[in-house]
Amino acid sequence: MSNQKKRNFQIEAFKHRVVVDPKYAEKTWNILEHAIHEIYNHNASGLSFEELYRNAYNMVLHKFGDKLYSGLVTTMTSHLKEISKSIEDAQGSLFLEELHRKWDDHNKALQMIRDILMYMDRTYIPSTQKTPVHELGMNLWRDNIIHSGKIQTRLLNTLLELVLKERTGEVINRGLMRNIIKMLMDLGSSVYQGDFERPFLEVSAEFYRGESQKFIECCDCGDYLKKAERRLNEEMERVTHYLDAQSETKITNVVEKEMIANHMVRLIQMENSGLVNMLLDDKYEDLGRMYVLFRRVQDGLLKIREVMTSHIRETGKQLVTDPERLKDPVEFVQRLLDEKDKYDNIITLSFNNDKTFQNALNSSFEYFINLNARSPEFISLFVDEKLRKGLKGVSEEDVEIILDKVMMLFRYLQEKDVFEKYYKQHLAKRLLSGKTVSDDAERSLIVKLKTECGYQFTSKLEGMFTDMKTSQDTMHGFYASHPELGDGPTLTVQVLTTGSWPTQPSATCNLPAEMSVLCEKFRAYYLGTHTGRRLSWQTNMGTADIKATFGKGQKHELNVSTYQMCVLMLFNNADRLNYKEIEQATEIPASDLKRCLQSMACVKGKNVLRKEPMSKDIGEDDAFFVNDKFTSKFYKVKIGTVVAQKESEPEKQETRQRVEEDRKPQIEAAIVRIMKSRRQLDHNNIIAEVTKQLQSRFLANPTEIKKRIESLIERDFLERDNSDRKLYRYLA
Amino acid sequence: MGIQKDRVRFNVGGRIFETSSTTLANAGRNSFFGAIFDENWTLQSDHSDEYFIDRNPDCFAVILDLLRTGELYIPANISEKLLYREALFYGLLDHVRSAKWGQFDGNRLRLSESITGQAPGDGTAIRAGPDGGCCVAHGSMVHVYDWMLEEHAPITLDYQRVNDVGWIDSENIVISVCERLGRGDGGMGLFSSSTGELRDKFQVNHENQVKSFTAGALSFSSDYKIFSSCKGRSNEYGIGVWDQVTGKQIDFFYEPPGWSLGDADKLQWLHGSNCLLVATLFPRKDNCYISLLDFRDKKMVWSWSDSGAPITVDEKRVRDAIAMEENNSICVVNEFEDLGFMDLRSTAGSIRWSSRSRLMKGNNMPDEPCYPKLALHEGQLFSSMNDCISVFCGPEWVLTSRLRQSYRLRQSYGGSICDFSIGGDRLFALHSEENVFDIWETPPPPII
Repeated sequence: MSNQKKRNFQIEAFKHRVVVDPKYAEKTWNILEHAIHEIYNHNASGLSFEELYRNAYNMVLHKFGDKLYSGLVTTMTSHLKEISKSIEDAQGSLFLEELHRKWDDHNKALQMIRDILMYMDRTYIPSTQKTPVHELGMNLWRDNIIHSGKIQTRLLNTLLELVLKERTGEVINRGLMRNIIKMLMDLGSSVYQGDFERPFLEVSAEFYRGESQKFIECCDCGDYLKKAERRLNEEMERVTHYLDAQSETKITNVVEKEMIANHMVRLIQMENSGLVNMLLDDKYEDLGRMYVLFRRVQDGLLKIREVMTSHIRETGKQLVTDPERLKDPVEFVQRLLDEKDKYDNIITLSFNNDKTFQNALNSSFEYFINLNARSPEFISLFVDEKLRKGLKGVSEEDVEIILDKVMMLFRYLQEKDVFEKYYKQHLAKRLLSGKTVSDDAERSLIVKLKTECGYQFTSKLEGMFTDMKTSQDTMHGFYASHPELGDGPTLTVQVLTTGSWPTQPSATCNLPAEMSVLCEKFRAYYLGTHTGRRLSWQTNMGTADIKATFGKGQKHELNVSTYQMCVLMLFNNADRLNYKEIEQATEIPASDLKRCLQSMACVKGKNVLRKEPMSKDIGEDDAFFVNDKFTSKFYKVKIGTVVAQKESEPEKQETRQRVEEDRKPQIEAAIVRIMKSRRQLDHNNIIAEVTKQLQSRFLANPTEIKKRIESLIERDFLERDNSDRKLYRYLA
Repeated sequence: MGIQKDRVRFNVGGRIFETSSTTLANAGRNSFFGAIFDENWTLQSDHSDEYFIDRNPDCFAVILDLLRTGELYIPANISEKLLYREALFYGLLDHVRSAKWGQFDGNRLRLSESITGQAPGDGTAIRAGPDGGCCVAHGSMVHVYDWMLEEHAPITLDYQRVNDVGWIDSENIVISVCERLGRGDGGMGLFSSSTGELRDKFQVNHENQVKSFTAGALSFSSDYKIFSSCKGRSNEYGIGVWDQVTGKQIDFFYEPPGWSLGDADKLQWLHGSNCLLVATLFPRKDNCYISLLDFRDKKMVWSWSDSGAPITVDEKRVRDAIAMEENNSICVVNEFEDLGFMDLRSTAGSIRWSSRSRLMKGNNMPDEPCYPKLALHEGQLFSSMNDCISVFCGPEWVLTSRLRQSYRLRQSYGGSICDFSIGGDRLFALHSEENVFDIWETPPPPII
């Protein structure tokens, strides 16, 4: 034993913690590579998942992750190249089936490979920022199969060919198609778009360009639209069956552009079948189709609207300016209502109740109704007709409907005050003659006018109704206070407030003595209960029921006007009276008297008087007798007065003048109101504001406004600015 | 799962386990058990008898118990690290993590661990990651810990002083550092949290020229934007905005005169109002500036400053601020840990201090005091002061809990808390005297 030896003793440090078989990585990888081969060859039954998983785990754990990963890439790539060959070799229609089968296999294999390499996927790949296994499998499939030279174009052509076949009516295997498209989508949106969608859209555009050209040459508009609609539906169906949902807007855009947008004008204007013809023939279905299709493209609805508007304006203008139509006001308005109904129906049934179309319709009506200055009068006459007799036996709802329609026309009127004027006249006649069919209908219309134009517009009309009501009460009171009057003739007085009623030239005639006594009693009674009032008799507006016995004892009750009554009563005391005598006795104005005599002596069936000489017109020298031979199968005979229902030309002028006269204070009031708040304003702005304020009642004429301004300046309401003559100032 | 019978037999490292396929289904498809029972594999081989797994049977027992009950109990004889390794093998590490600690509740927190690091000097910031990890900034280094509290490769950007750090997601961390004089270094960088490698560097452009800059406080928005306060060489101060995906600068809000943005201590993105809170506070500046920026129309929509206000005797200076969108207010704290509130709806805001008597004031003051910090988590307000974190709840912000290392366990006492952060259902508190940080967790719910 020597110290020397002891000193030489050394302990060697461990060089390696664990002795790893230098071929460890190679061996392990070979096992895994073999397993991948077996998986791709459908021969995995001999494989142990646990063993493979552990091997892959160990490789990553022992820092052979990169070897494992690159080995996977190489092995998978070589398998995909083989697969690529077998797909290329597939003949004809088997091509897609083979592609789909191999895709399924690949996915299944990829899932199993991913299971084995799960640990690598979870740890090695994120820390090295490599592509995860599943995505790697997709990318390799894309690069080696889909983008391989021999497959890429063949696949695209096959798919496009199948789509074309289906478009031309053949049945294709949609399931297979869906699977292949799904594969492209699974490979990423860029693959789907680049390798299929973009070329598909291009080919489709070409197809529909050609087809639409063909159709438009040989089809009428309705048929063309049907075909376009069918194509559009087919494409949407195609998307739901086997394309990506996001392709829908793209392919429908193509069809819309090629089949509709490019031919829009031509379709609308197509001879004998275009939009105007559809409107004329109420082709709801075709119009609806056109609406739905054109809505899809830019400016489509605008075009329809333009053509519809100009058509309505044109036909409306013809309607209101046709001199034939002016002969019958009721028919005139009825035609307007029919026209409105027609287009309302079209808009409801075909145009989806589109607000813009409703607005276009309204503005068109407003345009042409006001082309005819007599429209307000005619509308009022139409109401008059309806409220006199047209509504008999019509249910309350239907009455409302008719009134609502009238109100719609009323809304279009610019000169609402003219309508008011006529309406007042017509209403007065209806009320006084008791010709109103339904009080409810009358009131309902007043309410409608009130909601439309405000309290002011209808206050006088309502006043008329109040007068009628109070008169009834007054009459009850009168007879209650005079019980002795029960036997004599009955007097019914309607007390009308001056101003509420259309003023009539008042010419009192001489009433028969029996009546004037009664009238005096009423006057005494009325003035006794109401102090400070004045009563004047409007004999031109009254009616009377008188009993008459003719030559052979025929008894009749005659319903006549007050004037006629006065004339007939004269014959109680005379057999023969000539014109002058009658005129003197009654003091009825000549024109009224002539009309009154004419209606009693010249109308067949109502000729209670006989005239010498027999002629149509009344002469100043004519003589009159009671017609002893008068017969009628009715006991009650109504003798009308010959009246011009429609206004005569001078009357029209007069009404017009009255309207203009009434407008003056309204315009002045508006000017003052505006100037009071603005203090000063230039001419153009005044005109604009006044027009705006008054447009709910009428369209103010600028020259008239100017005249009113002048008049206000004269009366020191306004003054002109010294330096700027166009500027007005309000003088408080 | 293509498995016929419900009973499954495993031989794990020689020990036999029997369980049901329903239990194993809890593992999910993307795990060892999910794959082994997939029909792709079960159809291949005949497993009439049992599955052999060449792994540690003790750990398997714990993991099987986790799959059975959803709860995790680690016996004393198994180290956590060993268990984590085995769980990773089976692809069940996420299961373990979510069973390890309960859902965060500020009033039920328990100190789970204290970690001592090697870095010298004061800690700057600690930030909780979204899945339970954290990172700690010390000088020019950022140390990254995963949820298992394993330390990963540290992060540094040109070895420049780190000003702030933040998690974009569990994989990505952004750090902001000082600019290095004379070179284009510094600024901001994006790093991998697991490997520490630099993935991207953010640049600032002024008038189409790339400028070097010092990046300060950071914040991230849910629409993938990064905000940072920036100081450039030629007084280009303001808030820069970058896109998280492209890394490109997309906006810059220049500091208006008489205001402070580029020096900000704190940025906070407000999801509800789409605004950024920017707070520059004493002592970084002599005065405090708090403002809300709306980047869509480049406007300062709310602002408050104490400049010009008379300094009172007790000198309440704002040391930290946090916006509480649900209450439409901003909470601030002073050096005595008094909380103050400002209304976000009125622009002429003044602070409403809620003065609370503080027993700890004066006594028990550590040698090296730290300024208070604030944090908000699901309606609970946290404020740190010295070596203690207070929890406030309810509409009146009542003090409900206090987090402090107990004196008995102070073998790793680190002094005052200089920063803390809440995330991934954990609270991390960084001490200033020693390089120590604490992890507070809510324990799993009681058995009954």
